[in-house]
Amino acid sequence: MTDITKTGLVTRRRVLQGASALGLGLAMTGVAAPALRAQGGRPIRFLNCETGRDTLAFFDRIKAEYEAQTGVEVVVDSVPLGEAFTKITNGIRSGTPYDIANVGFVGHVLLLADEGHIVPLNELTDPYEWGNNILFPVDGKVYWYPFDYNLSVIYYRKDLYEKHGLTVPDTWDGFVANCEATVDGRQKGCLFPIGSNGATNWMSFAFMWAEGVELFDDAWNVVLDNETMKPKAAAYLDFMERLYPTMPPGAIQADYATVLSNIVGGTIAHGPYAGRVLEAAERDNPAVAEQLDIMPYMDQSGQRKAVSHGYDGWVVLNTDNTGRAMDFMRWLTTDRLIDFLHTAPVHFQPTRLDIYDNDQWRSNPLISKYSGQIETMRRMVSDDSMLVTSIDTQGPHPDTRPGKVFEAFVMPEMLQDKLIRGLSSAEAVDRAAARMRELVG
Amino acid sequence: MTRWMLPTFLAVGAIATLVLIVGPALYAVSLSFYHMTSLTSEPVFVGLAKYADVLSRAEFWNALVNGIVYAGVSIVLQVVLGIGFALILHQPFRGRALVRGLAFLPYLLPTVIAVLTFKWMVDGSLGIVTILMDDLGLPPIYWFETESAAMWSVILISVWLWTPFVTTTFLAALQTVPSQLYEAARVDGAGPVRRFFHVTLPVLRPILTVIILLRGVWMFNKFDVIWLTTGGGPIGATEHLPILSYRTAFALFDIGAGAAIATISFLFLSLAVFLYFRAFPMEDDA
Repeated sequence: MTDITKTGLVTRRRVLQGASALGLGLAMTGVAAPALRAQGGRPIRFLNCETGRDTLAFFDRIKAEYEAQTGVEVVVDSVPLGEAFTKITNGIRSGTPYDIANVGFVGHVLLLADEGHIVPLNELTDPYEWGNNILFPVDGKVYWYPFDYNLSVIYYRKDLYEKHGLTVPDTWDGFVANCEATVDGRQKGCLFPIGSNGATNWMSFAFMWAEGVELFDDAWNVVLDNETMKPKAAAYLDFMERLYPTMPPGAIQADYATVLSNIVGGTIAHGPYAGRVLEAAERDNPAVAEQLDIMPYMDQSGQRKAVSHGYDGWVVLNTDNTGRAMDFMRWLTTDRLIDFLHTAPVHFQPTRLDIYDNDQWRSNPLISKYSGQIETMRRMVSDDSMLVTSIDTQGPHPDTRPGKVFEAFVMPEMLQDKLIRGLSSAEAVDRAAARMRELVG
Repeated sequence: MTRWMLPTFLAVGAIATLVLIVGPALYAVSLSFYHMTSLTSEPVFVGLAKYADVLSRAEFWNALVNGIVYAGVSIVLQVVLGIGFALILHQPFRGRALVRGLAFLPYLLPTVIAVLTFKWMVDGSLGIVTILMDDLGLPPIYWFETESAAMWSVILISVWLWTPFVTTTFLAALQTVPSQLYEAARVDGAGPVRRFFHVTLPVLRPILTVIILLRGVWMFNKFDVIWLTTGGGPIGATEHLPILSYRTAFALFDIGAGAAIATISFLFLSLAVFLYFRAFPMEDDA
């Protein structure tokens, strides 16, 4: 036995033995996992904003799968969409950028593209046919991979329509009449948010788009208050004033969750939302789910229909890991996209038109059950007569200016000026137009 | 204690303060001299232009007034109710210890839970308050639907949440007032009201000064209650400087203007604290 009190623990022999063992271990690791060694480098950092339980489970599953297949680690951070852009920009500024990120606002995509922080994804998007108004190319370059539409459509209760002998309305007068007819005690006619929040921006203005209101002309001048648009916008405000008494108290506070719970809870006869309503109703109130159908927003005279634009997509950031991130995106958007869409089968409305005919996608039970509504939703993004627009996608081409109008809640405040402050419709439109000019110059 | 321990502790505290508080604050102030269109854009030095821009905006002055109203009314109500509750809880009665514990409960609740619970309780369709009122044949209350109602609603939540702080602090202080003073006042024929104004309040003036100061600073900077309830609406009726600063910087991405608003808010509050100390000096001149 070595007498360590004489020789000490650290001897030249022990150091050499240790170093040899370490070297052998490293060498064996290299032999055992060449893929891992070849990849080296840092993991792919993925910022996810779809926080549904099934979607989170999906990402847990595929990151393990991808690592097993390629040896490349994927780290997925999940935050609510509202926090995504701050996380993305903080990451860039702190020198630890995400490699792939979920974005839900085209203004953010354009800002990142302008500053050179994201790379074009044409190699992923070009092979497919896409729905209307979704790729937002800049000089032919597509900077994101949109994975879903979240169109705001109007849900209505078929049973209440039958009970009151109503038909699906084509005009504002018809819609107001239906909302009034379905008010019965705690049962209200409709709920369209009017507060300064994203829900109002998204859910309450498609009536105005159907009427033909535009915010900007081709040279980005604000035209909301010109002689063509102002009467239409004012008429929209008058229409909302007629709808307001058929809503439950609290429309000023209504957010996505409020509208969703009111539709699913059966307390309103009409309410705006995307496909999540059917998933939530199926889970929480199947009796109501059976009675829900959808319609687009309509104009005053029954000439035109619109739906409010909503969407989500992924961007790939310009980092030292872009090559790997692109490999992962290629895999995700080809091998695993259908699985991803199935995590919220009705809400994640496909942006790629080929998916609507994909047997794997159609095999989902909810997609089969609500095939009628889904077919309507498909027509909404493929029929050119249907207007698909929103505040942030207004203007002659994708730009950050309508994004400012969106983020400053100019349009919701126009509604509040009319419904809460009691200004005339013309005054409310004038104030909104003036505020827009302040914001976009 | 060795001769190095005290300087070491002081150094650790000073370094932590510099790194975690002074540094970020100075950085935020420095941002107000630059124009940036996003957190990642190239900053352009613009001197005091952001301050001039901010001070010329009606929304800034509206937010300043809202902040003063929100903080002022909240503090008055919190202090008056808090002292009232403290006086009640100072009296001997059965179950006092339990009631004292329960009275502190709202202060322990995370703001987000309290606010979301309140919002659900008064929800226009599904809220328990709405349904109860309907069952009683009463008309619904439009808690946030008008400009003044929204302000009163956020004040109500704030008062409910933070009155217990005043109650508890004042109650602790009450127990330090020598009972001989009350006995002497009683012998002189002073009733409960006169004893409160001529014994309790003068003795507890220093602690009250601190309570009002702390609550004032906290309420003026309070972000979460308003953000979670009204987001500053309707039509800016509850938007105060912290909300305006946040929206300007992180929604409109005018980082410089957002930082300028925060800096002006800090300067305004510093001035208010300075004047407060001039009006109510902490030292007992007597």
